[in-house]
Amino acid sequence: MASSFCSSISMQAPISAKTTRFSLQKPVSIFNNRKTNLSFSLHRRSMPARLAVSCAVKQETVEKVSEIVKKQLSLTDDQKVTAGTKFTELGADSLDTVEIVMGLEEEFGITMAEERAKEIATVQQAAELIEELVQEKTA
Amino acid sequence: MQRSFSIELPSLVPLQLPSRMETHLWYVVPEEVKSKSLLKQYSQLLSPSENDKVLRMRGDELQKNALLARTLVRTTIARYQTNNVVDPRTLMFKKNMYGKPEVDWQNYKNCNNPPLHFNISHTDSLIACGVTVHVPVGIDVEDKERKIKHDVLALAERFYSTDEVKFLSTIPDPEVQRKEFIKLWTLKEAYVKALGKGFSAAPFNTFTIQSKAGTTGGYSLCKEKTKTCNGEWKFGLLELADSHYAAICIEDDQASGGAVSVDIAS
Repeated sequence: MASSFCSSISMQAPISAKTTRFSLQKPVSIFNNRKTNLSFSLHRRSMPARLAVSCAVKQETVEKVSEIVKKQLSLTDDQKVTAGTKFTELGADSLDTVEIVMGLEEEFGITMAEERAKEIATVQQAAELIEELVQEKTA
Repeated sequence: MQRSFSIELPSLVPLQLPSRMETHLWYVVPEEVKSKSLLKQYSQLLSPSENDKVLRMRGDELQKNALLARTLVRTTIARYQTNNVVDPRTLMFKKNMYGKPEVDWQNYKNCNNPPLHFNISHTDSLIACGVTVHVPVGIDVEDKERKIKHDVLALAERFYSTDEVKFLSTIPDPEVQRKEFIKLWTLKEAYVKALGKGFSAAPFNTFTIQSKAGTTGGYSLCKEKTKTCNGEWKFGLLELADSHYAAICIEDDQASGGAVSVDIAS
């Protein structure tokens, strides 16, 4: 299952400092059974361009969040955690959620506003909020 | 084949309603429920969507606890319908506009249904349901021995009010400090649940709950910003089954003073 949705692609030509950014309005599944080809025609430049793809949520973030959740809830190996897993389905109560939030804040060096933190119900949502906050921090 | 549809549970023992300032607290210890056939019967009491939710829980223990929680709520509320015999399966529930569950009485033609309020709380090892009449109620239970994975004071500084942090930081023994943190947690959770307006209506750091001077077991609620304390919310904190703290919070618009009186049964 393709679990990465990319909402923006940036192409950077190695010599020129200009970046051409293609942003897609809707999330598009680009990696589809490894069959999809990406082709872009650059009218003005003839030198090779490096393609950098940034996805809405990095798999790495999802994995880190899952690790923290697993540790906090002391999950067994047969309790699988995926992006769509709800914390409540794993038996997390409110105190667990708060400890998870603290764990995420420590891991990623961010602070979550309480109202936002309390809206997080799944691993995916946590990862989205984290990346948003990390981006704001480095912007 | 008809047999599989009949419930062979003993008929529910009816209950007297709590009085106005009384909270009834019912609880079940999941570990003590071992019979698989009993659990199967319980699942027949649940609505299809409740059973779906139970099955979505990741793990057998979690599914069992979710099942017991819904069973506790349905059977407890059904027992208070002393005028009519209410089948727990027919009870319907809805959520208020903030998501707090409440009984939906639309099913019943008899409009003399008591204005029952309830609230549940569960941990791995205990599930509790508090019931009141006329007034909103919130309850929260926590295992006394629950390990806090972070530094207790760091958690408090992040989430509690300044006065509560002050109180906790004066406690020298880390064990006692951890226990007081948990007691405070249950009291604060109980308040937010009684309020029923969602967590963002009363973030933990906007209010302080502290022991009321000159009372045994009385607590008062004060606003962090203004430091004003009103008597509108009553608290009770007790130990259940020697293993859990349980906090109860009810709204008392008559502000009659005094602590909450609690009847406990399992």
